Amino acid sequence: MRGWARGGLRTRVVASFTLGAMALAGLAALLIYGLARGYLVDQRERSAVRQAFADASYVRDGLRTSGFPVSDVLGGVAPPAGAAILVRRDGRWYSTSLEVGDEDLPAGLVGVVEGGEAGTAWASQGRRPVLVVGVPLPAVDAEYYAVTVTSELQSTLDALRTALVAFALLIAAGAGLLSAWAARRAMAPLNAVAGTAARIAGGELGTRLAPTSDPDLATIVGSFNSMVDALEEQIQREARFTADVSHELRSPLTALVTSVDLLQRRRDDLPERSRQVLDLVRRELDRFARTLEDLLELGRLEAGASAGERVDVALGDLVRQALDRCGRPVSLLAAAPGGAAEVVVHVDKQQLSRALVNLVDNAERHGRGLVSVSLRREGAHALVQVDDAGPGVAEEDRQRVFERFARSGSRGSLPGAGLGLSLVAESVHAHGGAVWCEDSPQGGARFVVRLPARARIPRGVPA
Amino acid sequence: MAPRLLILDDDDGIRTALSLAMEDDGYDVTAWPSAEEALAHVASGAPVDVMVVDLMLGGIDGFTFIRRVRPLSDAPVIVLSARQDKGDIVAALEAGADDYVTKPFDLAELSARLRALRRRLEVAQPSSEVVLDREQGPLVLDPAAGTLRRGTEAVHLTATEFRLLCELASPPGRVLSRPVLLQRVWDHGFFGDERLVDVHIRRLRTKVEPDPSTPRLVATVRGLGYRLDVR
Repeated sequence: MRGWARGGLRTRVVASFTLGAMALAGLAALLIYGLARGYLVDQRERSAVRQAFADASYVRDGLRTSGFPVSDVLGGVAPPAGAAILVRRDGRWYSTSLEVGDEDLPAGLVGVVEGGEAGTAWASQGRRPVLVVGVPLPAVDAEYYAVTVTSELQSTLDALRTALVAFALLIAAGAGLLSAWAARRAMAPLNAVAGTAARIAGGELGTRLAPTSDPDLATIVGSFNSMVDALEEQIQREARFTADVSHELRSPLTALVTSVDLLQRRRDDLPERSRQVLDLVRRELDRFARTLEDLLELGRLEAGASAGERVDVALGDLVRQALDRCGRPVSLLAAAPGGAAEVVVHVDKQQLSRALVNLVDNAERHGRGLVSVSLRREGAHALVQVDDAGPGVAEEDRQRVFERFARSGSRGSLPGAGLGLSLVAESVHAHGGAVWCEDSPQGGARFVVRLPARARIPRGVPA
Repeated sequence: MAPRLLILDDDDGIRTALSLAMEDDGYDVTAWPSAEEALAHVASGAPVDVMVVDLMLGGIDGFTFIRRVRPLSDAPVIVLSARQDKGDIVAALEAGADDYVTKPFDLAELSARLRALRRRLEVAQPSSEVVLDREQGPLVLDPAAGTLRRGTEAVHLTATEFRLLCELASPPGRVLSRPVLLQRVWDHGFFGDERLVDVHIRRLRTKVEPDPSTPRLVATVRGLGYRLDVR
């Protein structure tokens, strides 16, 4: 059973159908063969017996009236082709054929005929089956035997057997094909379910199975659709929750940011220690605000809702702006060979610049400072390389750093919510690109973003 | 005289902090927790030079407030949006807002936006009258007097729409890209939201085009920007 269970449902259905059909067809063939064989053999025996009695009475009459020698009487009998006649008289055997002698006769039949009874028996002569009819001739004190080769009957039966085996195989093959077709028909709704499920998993939450009037399918279609309804509702509830939280958190955060800004304008009025505290509050508030924004952005990205308008923009401009926003000198963008800074990408400007800011930020906060940013064009792709001065990222952590709230495991103590890099990964993936981490030739970590580049096109009116 | 700023936000914390900060910046601030009170203030004839409006309010919401206040005042409106929902921002701009900031914003950002919207027309603007459309009207722009007239009738533009039109008219027939317009009218940098330009162009067309659905005066140049075609 284990072996069965391993095959697909369809394989199992087809196999059981085929085997069942083969067994039934084989049984029917055996039955037909048995009946036909019995009937044909019976017919053959009857006609042999009839012929034998006729010939035997001719032999008997010849022996009784003329007193001819036995061989002369036998010469007058014309046995049918393939048949031979043997007569025993006074303990001597006479035969119409040189090939057939008394050793060919079955002993049992000879005994019966000696006892005064007529009988038939099957024997074999060489490899050929023969029918022997024995008739006692008490009036002339002799025994008559007719030996008939039944090769004709045998070939008929052989042909019948071949036909029946072919018939059984044909039935089995037909059943196999039919069951395969039926199984495919029966599985078609399952395939529809699988396709729909795949589309839903791919984000098309509005997809549903078409309602059906087929009572066998209505249940599964109904449960499937209500399951997706529940799923969609839950996702929407979570999205609403996220939006509500964002609103609830942002208002107090805005008031806080504004108040701290106000205090900072008056920092000259504050004692030195208060200034230090104020700077601390400012820094932590910035981090909190950034984490909240990252979290919300990540939620939007994962919900696939942040499909902003994509425009053509020079990658070099985006990098320069990201450096500027992070308060880093634009000169950190290394001179790119072959005008790679002018590589144009088709992106959601806000989203991608946020990703680049996060990369620069990551180098500043976790990589002991940004060393350089470089651009490269590689075939149909544009590459941004961000090198830092840190200790690098251990081989086993290079996937993990892009996970949410991942920390550099082997060193453990690095601060930071670790949302930034997962946001980078989500944004870059949403643009059909890739991001990974490797060793920088200068010793630190190198984060590489690869984006599909636009073919070289003239740029619009410069900004 | 200090510019008069109206703040409309139902969150006490934000309203108080913002009022203090804007007073620091030299504004004469009036702050209201509800759209009803703010509307009553403007309707009473109290002069307002610029407004900061939160979208999510109890009672009348920010969108409705902007639509109702527009016939009463041309003062620029900056929207505070807690949601980055793109639909919300476009809806607020369509309703008549001039710019937006998303919470949390920092003071420097908001101050810069306010300054940009209140900026006087630059000297580079055309100082003499420009006839925009000889056939219908004629439609005449007078940057110095700050008026647009069709025949003898004044065409009513908000301050931002007027500045946008002046930029396009200096001189007419030149293509201006969205980033350039963002820079000149809103003082936004590279990351500015180009929908600001598109929505304002749309609003401008409903006021100056005989048939806004087939614009002939303010033409879109695909992939490049906008151009004023004097006729």
